[in-house]
Amino acid sequence: MNRFRGQFEAILASLSFGIAPIFAKKGLLSGLHPLSGMAIAILTGLLVNIVFVFSTGEWKKLVLSKRQGFLFSFIAGGWNTVAVITYFWAMAIGKVALVVPITCIYPLFTVVAVFAFLRKTEALDPWTVLGTIFIIVGIILTV
Amino acid sequence: MDLSIPLSILCAMAWGIQAVFLKIAMRDIPLYGTILITLVINCLIVIGLIALASEKGFSEFRHLPGSTYLFFMMAGVLNYFIGRRFYYSSFRFIGVARATAISATYPILSVGFAILCLTEKLALRQYFGVVLTLAVVYLLILRGKK
Repeated sequence: MNRFRGQFEAILASLSFGIAPIFAKKGLLSGLHPLSGMAIAILTGLLVNIVFVFSTGEWKKLVLSKRQGFLFSFIAGGWNTVAVITYFWAMAIGKVALVVPITCIYPLFTVVAVFAFLRKTEALDPWTVLGTIFIIVGIILTV
Repeated sequence: MDLSIPLSILCAMAWGIQAVFLKIAMRDIPLYGTILITLVINCLIVIGLIALASEKGFSEFRHLPGSTYLFFMMAGVLNYFIGRRFYYSSFRFIGVARATAISATYPILSVGFAILCLTEKLALRQYFGVVLTLAVVYLLILRGKK
């Protein structure tokens, strides 16, 4: 059941990530700089998350968390920001037809990083690796 | 060499690697705490960049129509709250590699939207890409059920 829940959540994430750019694109029609648009979007996400964390009492768990977890969250946040900024930068100076397919290969880097850092805790079967490659091929053919 | 190519590769690398660090962080920090911390870092760096590098700076925000704010706020809730909530949460059940592969299929949704709402037509290779991607996702889900 839990494994099925994971697949379902990943699909819902994909739906959210797929619908969000439609709104962002509409917003950019006003001529606003993409970085400013991103700031509004991130700030909104942050505020909603702050309200959620405090209204559900999740902050209590966060306060009791280990320091190591914070360190890795900061590292993840740093990489995440690099990804967002380089994406907008590449889109601003390059061709969309080139930038989008190249950025789509990110699951391959995840597979490599899982192999490098999570080998002991996360099993990486050949089907997942093969599936990742085929999904990337499918997306590159589509975009 | 076109600078957009190394930037795109760096973007893919950063986006791919961050997922693994998120998974490691979530061993010690609750899901929403992890989303909160990553968003705080995103926010601080983006606001810093606007202050330092943007020509218009924060003055651009003053004269924006309400609809523009609304569109970006919708994008923010969908991407940075709902999307991340499901994406990060899925790591706990099916692992980072599989969750990333499935959630990476979002361009297919954009294509579906273009076909349904904008009545755009696809080339044969695009149809092949859509079918291939959906078939692989379906197979990954079936393997998850087992």
